Amino acid sequence: MRPEIKEYNIDWMIWSIIKTAGRTTRGSDKEFYAMLEYVPYFRGILDPIVREGEAGKQFLELVGEYMGNIVNAHDDGKKLAMTTFCFSPAILYAMDIMPVTLEAISTLGALMWRRGTYDYLDYCCEVGFTETSCSSQRGSLGAYLAGLGENIDMIVCDSAGVCDTNANAFAFTSAYLDKPFYQLNYPPELVTDRTTSYHREDYYGLIAFLEEQSGNKIDEDRLRDVLTELQKQDEILTDIEEMQSLVPNPMPILYNLFIYAGRFFFAGMDNYTRMLETMRDTVSANAAEKKSGLRSGKENLRSLFCYIDHFAVNLSLWDWLDEHGITQVGNILSKYYNADAPYLEGSREAGYTINTENLVSMIDTMAQMNARMPMVLSIRGPYDAPYMWFENSLMLAKVFSADCVVYNGTPGCRNTWGMIKPFARDMEKEGLPTYIMYGDAFDERVESWDATAERLEEFFRVRGLL
Amino acid sequence: MKHATTAGPIQRAEESVQNWKQNGGRVVGYTCSFLPVEVLSAANVLPARLRGTGVSQADIGDTYFGPYICSYPKCILQRAGSGQFSYLDGVIIIPGCDSMRRLDECWRKAGEDFQGIVPDFFFHFGVPHKAADHSMAWFSSEIERLIRSLEEHFGVSIGEDDLRKAITLYNKGREMIARLNNFRKASVNTLSGEEAFALSVAGTLMPRDEYNQYLGEYMDEVSSRKPGLYNGKTRFMLVGSVSDDLQLISMAESLGGVVAAETLCFGQRHEGDLIGENEEPVSAMVRHYLDESLCPRMLGGYQARLKSLKEKIEEMEIDGVIFQNIRFCDLHGSENAIFERDLEAMGIPCVRIEREYGALADTGRLRMRLEAFMERMT
Repeated sequence: MRPEIKEYNIDWMIWSIIKTAGRTTRGSDKEFYAMLEYVPYFRGILDPIVREGEAGKQFLELVGEYMGNIVNAHDDGKKLAMTTFCFSPAILYAMDIMPVTLEAISTLGALMWRRGTYDYLDYCCEVGFTETSCSSQRGSLGAYLAGLGENIDMIVCDSAGVCDTNANAFAFTSAYLDKPFYQLNYPPELVTDRTTSYHREDYYGLIAFLEEQSGNKIDEDRLRDVLTELQKQDEILTDIEEMQSLVPNPMPILYNLFIYAGRFFFAGMDNYTRMLETMRDTVSANAAEKKSGLRSGKENLRSLFCYIDHFAVNLSLWDWLDEHGITQVGNILSKYYNADAPYLEGSREAGYTINTENLVSMIDTMAQMNARMPMVLSIRGPYDAPYMWFENSLMLAKVFSADCVVYNGTPGCRNTWGMIKPFARDMEKEGLPTYIMYGDAFDERVESWDATAERLEEFFRVRGLL
Repeated sequence: MKHATTAGPIQRAEESVQNWKQNGGRVVGYTCSFLPVEVLSAANVLPARLRGTGVSQADIGDTYFGPYICSYPKCILQRAGSGQFSYLDGVIIIPGCDSMRRLDECWRKAGEDFQGIVPDFFFHFGVPHKAADHSMAWFSSEIERLIRSLEEHFGVSIGEDDLRKAITLYNKGREMIARLNNFRKASVNTLSGEEAFALSVAGTLMPRDEYNQYLGEYMDEVSSRKPGLYNGKTRFMLVGSVSDDLQLISMAESLGGVVAAETLCFGQRHEGDLIGENEEPVSAMVRHYLDESLCPRMLGGYQARLKSLKEKIEEMEIDGVIFQNIRFCDLHGSENAIFERDLEAMGIPCVRIEREYGALADTGRLRMRLEAFMERMT
């Protein structure tokens, strides 16, 4: 690790950058664009976000608040739980514990630093965590392993049985840093009685763990507030997603990132609700005018990303798609599985229902919701099993009228790389051109963005899509 | 009986599988040590652990699996696609890790291109990653589901008595393996690591009653050896990813060492402790296979595994530990690093190597690493 990197706490560093970035929007446009000249690398993320107007500003505030919460947690008497993107933080907020979501922090670093999070990625390997492990965790984990992050109090994850590579990162950290650890573990099926019961029992174990580690008892009223807010968020998302199925798609492409990042940061918190409301207004206005959300205003093609987006470096992927008139109708991260979601018509049992009647019903809600988080829902069993990745992706492609499917992940994703080839072949049989990207969403050293873009271009050209 | 070559037990085991089949017996292949093989044995079906050895190319494996996948399931798929498992009456896929989990889809999808490679009985056997009460209950229901599927598919009946008999039969083998281990202790030292490991691998293939008899005869022969046969050699322990070939062990032993213990899922870690014979058989199997596992897929169990490792190191008077992982095996690869850190802090020399599955693809590099490790200890 470079000596200068060792001088900074990762949480404080990201917080400072985002906090400062948030302030740049307070001046005039002239001042803002003059300022961009002085941040030649960061402008690649700042400019597009700010261009999204009020939602962009709210997004910056949201991220700043999230990072500030981490930095100030101990001073505020709160505990920090290291966790993963597919773990709903709602339960942590309900118990006054601050989530430190590795992939979210890795994403922020990958997006905004010219050299990405290379030092942290590599530091993991220096202490023996395998280089073949997923970069989505390593991109920030290295900082915590090196003592360059806030002191973590406990570790919780929910990826065992879904993505063992992910879960292993947290188990490794627990052993390496000697921190208390709890894993939610998922069976390879979704809706059977025994699995529903498993989800519930496992979640009770989680709550007992959180109570023990935080010293906070679960508070029924507080949990109800969080779930009520979640219900509001789900309803707004339903509105937005229904409009996303329109042709042209009226949703600005960067909202995809705002939707899932916001949910990973602040599920069940009112600041996320406010941002969603702003976004719904914009999407509604575009829909009323039958206008595409793309900057060009012209939608040439509709793409479904069946896995994750590309975050290294800046917002290059979305810029590229936007420039080519390609709408992104979502990815595995941006979908939520409330039983009322537009894409669950015909398979409502695959979704969760928010029930705030009493503590038992609320815990059950959280357990079933967590079991339907991105990846947790659809990557646990064989990809062609009921409710799993293929059925799920195909359903999304149909509901959102996607013209093609794109896979992007990380080389560390043993889980999807183990099946993506037959998955893509099956998708092609359904008439959907499917492209497998070979880069790393978090590490541009694996494949430069230029090379990635060239290959994307080639796919769309060769398949006659553009 | 002859045991001139240490590959003998494995060869013998492979012949036993062929004989079983030729005599009309059914064989079901399985992929991971979490399968309660007693269930198959109770159905009079031979459980044969799938091996990927002998593969010299990966065109089939690479067609279905992506590039960042462990070579073990790729080799199994290569063999399956080449028709080498056509004798199987069934396959049970166990999601031991992400790569092995996906052997399910890749094998079935390869079956669309290579006719006849997917047996009619193709079962995905879920195994939780923890041993809490509810996961034990779920695992119990999964064993019951397996029992029902076997009964239905093979037209057999698996009663409690059948399970008890199978448990007793397998326990007998476990007891013998534990006794076999005594020959590897420093005070006796009459059994090489290569022989011991070959016997362990043979146990994952051979019909158990035949195996028990074979092991007994083998031990009689070993008993007649002069104690201290391997005295003066550096005593290694081999730890880590799945391994069922003898070459890494034979290399370590050719350099003047003896592999006095190992914890590998094809080796004695697979056998573990005895299964309770005086309790309800499914519950007893659940506890044995889930609660007593030393596999890093049981996330959060590092301290228990470290304790077990230390006890083994002390019991077998180990001089140095060889940690190995197959590339892309993150579970073992990363845990090996913490083991190394903690054992080195206790003064126990360790070396960590990464390799490919199967016959050593980079013998020179591995030999050099082991030679350097030997030098460090002498």
